[in-house]
Amino acid sequence: MSKIEMTVNGKKVSHDVEDRTLLANFLRDQLGLTGTHIGCDTSQCGCCTVHVNGAAVKSCTMLVGQANGADVKTIEGLATGDKLHPVQQAFTECHALQCGFCTPGMIMAVAGLLKDNPNPNDDEIEHGLEGNLCRCTGYINIVKAVKHAAAAMK
Amino acid sequence: MSEHFTGRREDRRLITGTGRYTADWNEPGQLYAVFLRSDRAHAKILSIDTQAAQAMPGVRAVMTSADADIAAMKNPPSNVTWEGRGGTKMNQPDRPVMARGKVLHVGEPVAMVVADSVAAAQDATEAIVVDYEDLKAVIDLADALAPGAPQLHDTVPGNLPFDYEWGDEAKVTEIFSKAAHVVSLSHEDQRLVGNPMEPKAFLAVYDATKDVYDVWSSTQGMTMMKGSLAATTGVPPQKFRVHTQDVGGGFGIRSNAYPEYCVVVAAAKRTGKPVKWVATRTECFVSDWHGRDFSMKGELAFDAGGKILAARYDWIAAMGAYCSPTGPNVHTLTPATTSVGTYAMPAVYGRIRCALTNTTSITAYRGAGRPDIAYMLERLVDEAALKLKIDPIELRKKNFISKEAFPYTTPNKVTYDSGDYAGMLDDVIKVSDWNSFEARRAESKARGKLRGRGLAVFVEPSGGGRGPDANQAMIKFGSSGNIDLFSISGPSGQGHETVFPEIVGRELGIDPSLITARIGDPDGPPLTGLGTIGSRSMIHHGSASMIAAREVIKKGMDLAAKDLEVATQDLEYAGGSYRVKGTDRSISLVNLAKKLGGTAGVHPLDASGGMAHTSAFPSGAHVAEVEIDPATGVTEVLKYYAVDDCGNIVNHTLLEGQMHGGIMQGAGQVFGEHGMYDRETGQLLTGSFMDYYMPKAGLIRDIYLGDHPSPSPTNPMGVKGAGEAGTTGALPTLMNAIHDALRPAGVPHLDMPATPSRVWEALRAARKAA
Repeated sequence: MSKIEMTVNGKKVSHDVEDRTLLANFLRDQLGLTGTHIGCDTSQCGCCTVHVNGAAVKSCTMLVGQANGADVKTIEGLATGDKLHPVQQAFTECHALQCGFCTPGMIMAVAGLLKDNPNPNDDEIEHGLEGNLCRCTGYINIVKAVKHAAAAMK
Repeated sequence: MSEHFTGRREDRRLITGTGRYTADWNEPGQLYAVFLRSDRAHAKILSIDTQAAQAMPGVRAVMTSADADIAAMKNPPSNVTWEGRGGTKMNQPDRPVMARGKVLHVGEPVAMVVADSVAAAQDATEAIVVDYEDLKAVIDLADALAPGAPQLHDTVPGNLPFDYEWGDEAKVTEIFSKAAHVVSLSHEDQRLVGNPMEPKAFLAVYDATKDVYDVWSSTQGMTMMKGSLAATTGVPPQKFRVHTQDVGGGFGIRSNAYPEYCVVVAAAKRTGKPVKWVATRTECFVSDWHGRDFSMKGELAFDAGGKILAARYDWIAAMGAYCSPTGPNVHTLTPATTSVGTYAMPAVYGRIRCALTNTTSITAYRGAGRPDIAYMLERLVDEAALKLKIDPIELRKKNFISKEAFPYTTPNKVTYDSGDYAGMLDDVIKVSDWNSFEARRAESKARGKLRGRGLAVFVEPSGGGRGPDANQAMIKFGSSGNIDLFSISGPSGQGHETVFPEIVGRELGIDPSLITARIGDPDGPPLTGLGTIGSRSMIHHGSASMIAAREVIKKGMDLAAKDLEVATQDLEYAGGSYRVKGTDRSISLVNLAKKLGGTAGVHPLDASGGMAHTSAFPSGAHVAEVEIDPATGVTEVLKYYAVDDCGNIVNHTLLEGQMHGGIMQGAGQVFGEHGMYDRETGQLLTGSFMDYYMPKAGLIRDIYLGDHPSPSPTNPMGVKGAGEAGTTGALPTLMNAIHDALRPAGVPHLDMPATPSRVWEALRAARKAA
């Protein structure tokens, strides 16, 4: 067991957890932030993507101890009050989600992508989404939403 | 995209991380279940020693088939009640919920541990010792049916649980013997893993004082979940309260209760605590029921002028080691239903032998027999066009069922509702600039690339699922005039929460935002019918909602007449109000509802609607252009054009979403998805997202969608369904395009999936042969 402290969505949290706990499980089980989804066990699907110190990270690839002291943002912390983040807004307006299970990870990955590259072309968008799987949308409207969000954030 | 689309009602919670999927529900004091699964394909179980596991810290129960509550569970009888070839019957093997005496596939549950934490349960499963005696496994379909093959079940000789046939064998044999031309084709339609993004999960709470189970699960419909849990566990269906809020994908594989769910139900009763089980993705790969997996042969007979005289099919369909509740049905009856496709041929005959192999069970997966028959038939038509030296457009047009012929009854006695196949084909030829393709092919060739163009025109049955009871919806009014619409559909992303209120709002002439859809609500009225399978929700649940709305208007007539103190026949209903004809005296439905109030949960305007089970026949004409790089074998889809007849369209943006997703799932099968087992050991070789190809962003960049609706006369909305059409069209369209690209390079045939390595190997083999 280790004592873990970090900032999650602007709030300081502190918990004693088993050393083998992954960041994804810590967020879901200890903090009840179930918007971070777990869709695989090999770090392929991207459903668990969150921001750690500003970078988009698959939270199943980190032991919680590796995020000790970090500033973590999850899908629950992306909107500002009732005001959606432009990427969230674009996803709903472009019908870029169906079942919604991949969506939190997808949105966090896109928010990360646009931070690094505010004006991505098709190739860069596809490259940026390579680590996120969606089974419902065929990605057509997701790519559209990325462009829509990029335009809105200019 | 619809002009005014601003998002779905479901979206807000899903984009802010406040949606709730099965794994997101927790109950105080819950225990955690973990399964021990077979690591081999076929073996006798000599012993299972659970003693050490029982004694581990935090372990509350270890369950196996030896336990009385597990042994008492029953495999529900097959829903295949019709006869097969020569009057034979379905011979369904028994399926235990956990292995009993033998394991028959990798991943079969052998034991389940219930403990205070997932980690404690995982540790304990590793302490269970199973002594196996390996048996020879059989994986290949033809191997399974061959004499001397390892037998999976004593009760199913020859590994052949069902031998299905349809049509007129004698007549078709006669036609083929005299035909001017016969075209034949054999190919594989590989096994797929459905892979909804949400791994399957189940949470069960047993309330001993009420003798009721509250269960949470990802399901395609609460009535189907209740029914199949009840059929296996022996607990009456009304004792299950099924909760779902959000379901992370279905695609056909979540129509029924998995065996694991039934074991968790037993564990909740035995321990007296809530029990939660969340599968890992690896478990999903080896235990989610798979899709497709056919070995296919097909033939077409033609007269000298290119008229199709008959079709003949001889297929083997994989069932897995046990028959799933749906597999034997949808992989025989469904492809047979549209086995003449869009063509007016006088005769058809087909045979599908179902084969048991040491693999995970097969069930419905997006299309469920529809893409399979369309793939076979439309590949055959393209091959026939080459052999008969007739233009593929002309050949199709020569044989289409004409627009005037509907309702049209096929030689195997299926009645198609409506359609305009030639009209759709004209549309897609035009938008895809079909006629100037050769210039584009030459341009690609100049860059060293192989360009190909593919076409398919298909028809498919929608409305899936039968039953004696109508599919019901109910509208209930609150005292403030608010309206709840109850439905038992089982959406997993289709947008029912948004679109069903739109249907009711349109019918009632009121703002849909006043209506709340309560779908799969365990506290709702006890409605009958099935859930969301086989492109049926809009036909059945949409129509039921519309009928319920019409019933509300009818009920309100007398009540409004009383309120306005006029005779009922003097009233008319329009724009959300009852109006005295020729006057400006009126009362709105909402105000009438408020005035009438309601007691004990009953409001005088409450009404239900029922839609009896029916089918419609969506169709489409799709074209794709692909470009293959012969140096790498990589295929790029340059453009995909889909012109579809989904009947009347309710919400265009959501329809587009269904088509995009469906086409991409077809493309997944065409370009890489393959649930592959080792032929000797029966190990699943593609058991994770590292090994199993999944379509990614950019696989198809550009999809054109065109509408060519012929409203269906089978339901009051005139809809046909759109869930599967994209997939059904994509298989033959993309494979015809790939063959068109490879043929000039000397490759006559390629099986799916057209992976870069397979394409490259085929091109190399063709060069060597030349």
